[in-house]
Formats: sequence, C-alpha cells, structure tokens
Amino acid sequence: MRNRSIIIGSIMLALMIIVALAGPSVVDQLLFPGERPGMRGSYRPYQLDSATHPIGTDGDGRDGLMVFVSSIWPSLQIGVIAGATSTGLGVVIGFLAGYARGRLDTLSRILIDMVLVIPTLPLLLMLAAYIDRWDLYKLSLILGLFGWSFVARVIRPQVQSLRERSYVDLAVLSGENSLEIVFLELLPPLLPYIGYVFSLSIVGSMLAEAGLQIIGLGAGGLPTLGFMIAKGFRESVIAIGLLGQMLLPAGALIYVFLALNLINTGLDEVFNPRLKTTIEGGD
Amino acid sequence: MTANSSSRAAEPSEDQQQAGRREVFQYALRRFGVYLFTLWAAITVAFFIFRLVPGDPMNILLGNLTRAEGRQRDAEAAEAIIAHYRQIFGMDEPLPLQYVNYLRKAVLGGLDLGPSFVEYPAQTKDLVFRRMPWTIGIFTTSVLLAWIVGTGLGALIGWLQRSRLSKLAVVISTLLQITPVYLVALGLIIYVGYTWRILPAGGPYARHLQPEWTWEFISSLLTHAVLPMLSNMIVIGAGFTLGMRALMISVLGEDYLTFARAKGLSPFTILKDYAFRNALIPQVTALAIIVGATLNGTFIIEVLFQLPGLGTLFVQAMGLRDFNTMQAVVLFSIFAVLTLTLVVDLALPLLDPRIRRTA
Repeated sequence: MRNRSIIIGSIMLALMIIVALAGPSVVDQLLFPGERPGMRGSYRPYQLDSATHPIGTDGDGRDGLMVFVSSIWPSLQIGVIAGATSTGLGVVIGFLAGYARGRLDTLSRILIDMVLVIPTLPLLLMLAAYIDRWDLYKLSLILGLFGWSFVARVIRPQVQSLRERSYVDLAVLSGENSLEIVFLELLPPLLPYIGYVFSLSIVGSMLAEAGLQIIGLGAGGLPTLGFMIAKGFRESVIAIGLLGQMLLPAGALIYVFLALNLINTGLDEVFNPRLKTTIEGGD
Repeated sequence: MTANSSSRAAEPSEDQQQAGRREVFQYALRRFGVYLFTLWAAITVAFFIFRLVPGDPMNILLGNLTRAEGRQRDAEAAEAIIAHYRQIFGMDEPLPLQYVNYLRKAVLGGLDLGPSFVEYPAQTKDLVFRRMPWTIGIFTTSVLLAWIVGTGLGALIGWLQRSRLSKLAVVISTLLQITPVYLVALGLIIYVGYTWRILPAGGPYARHLQPEWTWEFISSLLTHAVLPMLSNMIVIGAGFTLGMRALMISVLGEDYLTFARAKGLSPFTILKDYAFRNALIPQVTALAIIVGATLNGTFIIEVLFQLPGLGTLFVQAMGLRDFNTMQAVVLFSIFAVLTLTLVVDLALPLLDPRIRRTA
C-alpha cells in the first residue's frame, strides 16, 4: 500500500502512541528523579512555567507536563475500545441488513435510521449521571453502544451493491452457503472501507468523550485529555497564565484527529480509486 | 408510467405529468409514514432508557430537600413523602401503564409532558418552550449561515482548483473541520472574550439589562450571540466547504461541461448554470445529515457560553435528576431532528427535476 496519506498519518499516530506510552516514565526519570510529579500535593499549585515545571503545576499541585503526558494514553484507549465496539456492532448489523432482502431489509433500514437520529448526547449525559464509579472500559463500551448506527448506515449500502455483483452470483451457483459468501466474498473487498469507518469511529468516540468532560458531567476522575481541558477551563488556567495546560491537551487532540483524518483519506482512496483520479486528474 | 413513457415526445404528456405528480404524492406520503413511525419508536426507546436506568429520582429528590432544610426526617415520614410524590408524578403505576399514560397525555393532552420535579408545579412543556428560542435561534442561524458560506466558498475553491490559494483553503478547511466544536468555542472564549476583550463571551445579554424592545438590549443580545454562533459556523462551514468542493470537482469532470465550454458559453454561465446547480442537490442532502450532530454541539456550546437554552436546561435538570424535564428535552431534540430531516427530504423533489418526475 503505497499511499502517502496513510503513511504520514500512521507515522504521526505512532509518534503520539510513543509519547503516550513512554512519556510518563521519561518525564518522571529525566525531569523529576526521586520525586512524584503525578501525585496530588507534590508541589505548590498553580506555579507558572519555569525550568523545573515547563508548563507549570496544576490546581492539585501536580506537574502539568506529567499530567499531560499521562492523559494521552487513556484518551487513545477510550477511542480505540469505543471505536472497535461501535465498528464491530455496526458491521454485523450492517451486513445483516445489507444481506437480507424484502421485509427484513425494510425493517432493518428503518431501525438503523431511527437509532441514527436519536440525539446521543443527552442520553450519554443521563447515563453519565447515573453511573457512580466510572472506569475506562465502562465509558468506552457505552460510547461504543451509541455509535454503531452510523457504521451500520454506511456499511449496509456497500454490502447491498456488492451482493449484486456477478462474482457473488457465481459463488452462489457454485454452492457456497451464506456464511461462506459473507466471509469469503463480501467481507474481504470491504476491509479497507471498514478500516476507514473504524478510524472515523475512533475520532467520534474521542470527540464525544472530551465533549462529555467539557460539559462538566462526564467521567469525573478519568485522567483524559478532555478532562484536563475541562479542568483547565473551570480553573481558568489561561487567566493565571498557564497557557500550556490548555493548549497542549487541545493540540494533542487535534493532532490525533489530523493523523486519523489522513489515514482516513488514504483508506478512502484505496477503497475508491476513482476518488483519487478525479481529484488529481484536475491538478 | 404506462405505454406513454415509450412515446418519443420531448415534452411530457398530460398523462405523464399526472402520473409523475401522483408518484411524488405517494413518495411524500410514504416518507411521512416513516417519519411518524420513527418518531414513535424513538420516543419509546427514550422513555424506556429513562425509566430503566438505576437510581430512584424520588430518593434523590428527598435527599436534596433534606439537605436544603438541614434537618433529618424519620424514616416513616420520608416514606410517606416519597409515596405522595410518586402518586403526583404517576410513578406508582407499573411501567407499561406509565408508558401508555405518557403517550396518551403527550399526544392527546396537548403536549402534556408532566410537571417538572424541580420547579413543581411548573409544566415541563413551559420550561422547554421558554428555553427553546435560544437553542433554535443559535442552531438554525449558524447552520444556515454556515451552509450558505460553505457552499459558496466550496464552489469557488472547486472551480479554481488549480490555484495555490484554493489549495491553501483546502488545508485550512480540513484543519478547522477536524477541530471539535467545543475546542473552537473554548478558544474563542479565552482569546476573543477574555484576553483581547473584543466581544462578550458568556451569558445571553449584559447583566444589567432586562429583556425589552430597546436598541440597547437588542444590540447586547446580538453581540453576545456572535461568539456562540461563530464557533458552530466555523466547524460546520468548513465541512460544507470541503463537501461542496468535492462535489464541484466531480461535476467538473462530466462531459456536459466540456460541451458547454465548446459551445463558447462564458465561464460564469458555466459555473452558475451547469456546475453549481448540479453540485447543489447532494449538498442539500448533506444539510439533513448533519442536523443531529450539530444539535449535540449546540448543547455543549450553550453550556460553555452560559446561554439559557435547552442544553443548559438539560444539564441543570440532570443535576437534580429531574426525569420529566430531561425527557422533555430529549423528546424535543428527537422531534426537531426528525422534522428538519423530513423537511429537507420533502424539499429535494422541488430542487431536482429528475426526482420530481421519476421519484
């Protein structure tokens, strides 16, 4: 796969994953040997940027940079788990809906359209209020459960159009059963498209998670980038002069979205080669 | 259509037109049926989600009351109070009966969605109607403006695709489009609102004013609305720009455009009548698709800018576990999203003569 967007996006994403995984221990070892930069009350709160604290300390007396680097991994985890949940569910439902004919087809279309239009944010907020102790997996699963309708909505027509191709007819005539047709004939050509949808779902889940945090009712205590932004906004860190504690997490989120967006564009081009020729043909 | 469709007449005959009209009517009727069914189903799903989540709203309400009064009640009195409230709010009945009652009151009782727990005996309906203008105002104005600006800009960028400026515009739009709307809102609040102090960044209007028809109040209202709308517009507008550009580029590759150029039509005529018009139809469909997601974003924007809209109402109600109010807000959002989608779907045949004749 020699697609420039995919390569650049993947490198960007890989760099972020390295920062997320290695960052906390590197910051701990290099900048604060023998101290506990991630512990509440380790330092005086709201210290301005200095050589020892590059982006200052936060309201709980932790080092800002340490908080930032340790927030990245949970955010990415939520994105991937929730994205995988909604993509998995959506692909199964989309295939069922796309492969079915007649009344089942109509019914599944109405069901998908229905779930698609239910505004998810109020329902998510509701659940957020009722669940006392959040953990990362609970939050990710719930986000995933709300995201499948979009996936099913875009997978279904793809399956429908593939099902009509003559090579599928050939497979039917040569005696393959429905399962074989789905897994051997329909699924493989759709893999790049499913990858594309997965990447979109990750973005959607991270977006929703940070949104919940920022509106102030999300998973209190889960140390994610969204939580850091929300906390910074509530404690008005910008007014204090701690710009980095707001801009770094916001920048990191946008960076991840950009990387995924590049991968998306690339996967879309792989799946849909006409897209590339029309756009580049005009250049 | 019957045998008439095989006739070679260039103009559709009387019969054909009639058949076409009948089909459009059937399309509209079918679409409306699906709308009603979806509305019912969505309301049902929302009702049961609200009732089945754990946590007894009455206990929480009583807890709030107790804390507000600052003294403890004995258990027996507490039980009596809870039972009384349950009766008032119709929560002592079995769930299926509650559901039937809820639907009956909502449909036949003139949108009677029950009283609010918090502002009892105020009706939930009134609370929602009082907040609705804010949400609708911010939402529709920013989405429509974003659509107009984005469509125009996208058409232009797509038309001038070879120029360096349009490539730069694509990069900027992509960056803006992937930025979450709340980060744009936070950025505007922090920089434009607090650091540079150009525009007010919180509240519906200046604190010392009362709602009235004076120039002072209206201008204060408008300046306070700029930033919330701008946050919505930047992100949605960038999406529309990119969408329209892609549509324009695919239209520009069509043969009939080459033909129009060969005919010697002016570039402006080609842009206006050949390229733009044909790219416009999918762009209208795109408007319908983003309605739901944008409403979510508008709720967050309201909270960030402290506007008294439905999003803020929901967050307040949630803190107090005010079931009825939360449910009313969700119902209203579902209704709004479905209705707007319906309107766009029904408007499409008017725009596209192909759908009008053959739908």
